[in-house]
Amino acid sequence: MSALGAASGGGEGINPTASIIGIVIIIAALAITAVMAAPALAAVIGVIIGGALIGFGVHFVPVGGAPAAMGQSPGIATGVAMLAAGAGLAGLFGGAWAAANPAFGIAIVIAAGAVGGGLMMAITCLMVNIVYIFGMGIPAASGKVAKDPITGDSQAEYKSQGTEGHGLPFVSYVGGVIGGLLGGAGGTLIYYELLQVYSAMLPAMFNASAEEILPIAVSLAGIFAVGMFLVNAVLAAYNITGTIEGPHDPKFKRFPRAVIGCAVASAVCGLFAVLIVVV
Amino acid sequence: MTVQITASTGGIPHDKLMAAGLVGSVICLYLTYLNSATGTEVFSFFGGLAAVFALVWGTSTIKHLCSYGIGTGVPSAGMIAFGSGVIAMLLATQFNSMYLTPIMAVVFGAIVGGACGFLANNVMRMNIPVMVRSLTEMAIIGAIVLLGLTAVMAGGFGFDALSVKTISIMGILSTTSFGASLLGGCLIAVSFMLGGIALQHPFNACLGPGEKQDRTLTLAAECGFLSMIVVAVISFAFVASFAAIISLVVAIAGWYYTFVKYIEYSKRDAYAWLDAKPILEPKGED
Amino acid sequence: MAGALATVAGAAEDTESNIGSQGDPNSQVQLAPQMGYIHRIYNKAVSGEPPAYGLWVTIGAGVAWAFMATGMNPVLAIVIASALAIFVQGVYAATAYLGRTSSLAKFEQPVYIDLLKSVTSVTMAHAFVAVFTTVSMCYLLNAALGHPFPLPLLGIVWGIALGAAGSATGNPFYGKERQYQSQMFGAGVPISASGNIVRYAEAGQRSSLDNGWFTAKLGGPASGVCFGLIVFLELWRTVLFEEAVGGWGAIIVGVIIILIFMIIDRYIETWARKNYGPYVKAEEASA
Repeated sequence: MSALGAASGGGEGINPTASIIGIVIIIAALAITAVMAAPALAAVIGVIIGGALIGFGVHFVPVGGAPAAMGQSPGIATGVAMLAAGAGLAGLFGGAWAAANPAFGIAIVIAAGAVGGGLMMAITCLMVNIVYIFGMGIPAASGKVAKDPITGDSQAEYKSQGTEGHGLPFVSYVGGVIGGLLGGAGGTLIYYELLQVYSAMLPAMFNASAEEILPIAVSLAGIFAVGMFLVNAVLAAYNITGTIEGPHDPKFKRFPRAVIGCAVASAVCGLFAVLIVVV
Repeated sequence: MTVQITASTGGIPHDKLMAAGLVGSVICLYLTYLNSATGTEVFSFFGGLAAVFALVWGTSTIKHLCSYGIGTGVPSAGMIAFGSGVIAMLLATQFNSMYLTPIMAVVFGAIVGGACGFLANNVMRMNIPVMVRSLTEMAIIGAIVLLGLTAVMAGGFGFDALSVKTISIMGILSTTSFGASLLGGCLIAVSFMLGGIALQHPFNACLGPGEKQDRTLTLAAECGFLSMIVVAVISFAFVASFAAIISLVVAIAGWYYTFVKYIEYSKRDAYAWLDAKPILEPKGED
Repeated sequence: MAGALATVAGAAEDTESNIGSQGDPNSQVQLAPQMGYIHRIYNKAVSGEPPAYGLWVTIGAGVAWAFMATGMNPVLAIVIASALAIFVQGVYAATAYLGRTSSLAKFEQPVYIDLLKSVTSVTMAHAFVAVFTTVSMCYLLNAALGHPFPLPLLGIVWGIALGAAGSATGNPFYGKERQYQSQMFGAGVPISASGNIVRYAEAGQRSSLDNGWFTAKLGGPASGVCFGLIVFLELWRTVLFEEAVGGWGAIIVGVIIILIFMIIDRYIETWARKNYGPYVKAEEASA
């Protein structure tokens, strides 16, 4: 990803008018669903929650972007949306596998997706630290706080001169794992809800049995989940405007905007996804 | 110290490109309906041309948006375009029986893209003047490119047609399979990624103070034809070989032409075109 | 088997992206001429690695699926499909180098045609290994282990995941160590040094090919271990424990593994603090 460009917008605080309009849109979407496809109402609500989870989770992931690649700032040296997408999709993979087993209820499926995403982040963050510490000889240090909120380690004297910090201090690591958990859970929830809707409605459309129609349901739900995941992750990335160190970063406080925004986007997308089997 | 994201000004205005792109791609999409009119699949390649039109338009949109500085990378713009576009496109395929799919794709794309733009600009407070319009355009472009590439793969874009594939056994009996169909095999994923990268690549790759519009737009067309080559190869699984070969030939020819043109423009714009020469320190140093 | 394929894929991905200079460290390659440092590094700005790898793997998976649908043998299908994906990758890489460098004409950065010819083919070769192994892994996941997602969808999922994991582990290594080898080991790069990447190699001028052996020393294997572990643990915990404890078995095991990794990370973090020591005294730093 190219480095930052000219000054970006990114005002602080919540915009109340826009948030209210957003909530109105959510209600409208739910209303349309109730009218046109009443059985799918629970699914759209599930999709909205899933999107909100993704938006929230993205804020936990420590991303440093281009400066992190040179040991100039803490975090993982990749783009926000893409790293979150990688973890969330790995989680979706695990969740989809669990969903394929009809004996498993929604709780297990979501948990499987969450663990899948969290596991990927745990491994990736660990390897990142290994590379920094053993490959480059740099200890982890945060540039935004004086002491790590979880471990209490002081940070300032471990920061090399002329940089903003580097690596993944423990709070960033934990943040990354939480981000993976939430992202995996959110993506899997979207997938699961859509899968339920499609498995129920598609057989009638095609005059075929549920098993025969299953590949279509899985693929449709899968690609919708991927698409919605990317939309939510990019919207959340826009909220973060570039880099964030993790839950201790002051930018983290912006997350309510992202939750609202992602919920609305998911409502609109979820409505469309459900209309496909109704129209 | 950050890299400058600068781009050229002047050249063909964005509105003109948008009009040409929108009209051109929708016309090409409608031309694929000649397939059902003639009962063949040889006109599938018009879908690829529609995708090329839309990508050229989209490159201009991304350039327009990024010149205001969005604070994150260019590739994520491509991803959100296609994320919203795929949703619009799939819903639009349900309207195929009334020959409305391309128009509905534009309408649905506008709705989803407009919503995302509104959210990004007002709820996330990015406060970029062209944000809402740009994301709207990009969602439409995403939906059109997906429709176009799908048309090349499958010969059409009706939801029912995309879900079922007839397989003949022993040449006589035939049975329908859902898993072997385009939707069942999720080949949309291929169009998704192809379009997502192709949309943001031209601007991202030509980034720099010396960016020139004609070079960037040629690269956009080249990416479109390159994507068309891939889906033409995939189409061998869905359409008659003859039709697939036509799509492949059109794609390769288009790609070759735009690629050569692009190299020509690069040569024109580069500071120096050297072969195995050492580093030239810039003049005025030492 | 899938885990082994994944490890190879991860290693190859990182080597490829370092030879071709992709991802976040590439911003320094772009910046250098603006600061007056002309170079012979291959400026391959094809988006970031996750979406790029998402594309190559998905192309490979999709075309392989199509070939198999026409009855082709799976191995042959995957090989040819990967080759087509690599052709696309090579074209994107070449156009990116030409585009970025031509646009830097103002800073007198020339286009080196020999670079284009030599580096492109090498990066394509490494990408082939990465794509082929990843698509094969996806095929095994679907055919042998029975995952519900069809091959192209698995391709998009694991392509992006591979790019993210490889990018996260390999980028700092390439960015900090190789590009800024002239800076002191053991510290981050100060912001004032931006753009001053290493341009002259052990003998003669550095080109991106020299990054190959460097990456193979640590960055490549590290990315490989990272992606391999992800796939390996994900598969094993599901396959072994899925039926246990009424379905919660795999989840409990997953949580335990996460906690173990967390403890390991904490351990190496404190190890580094103790052994490397602070840069300046604590009072000075917070003053």
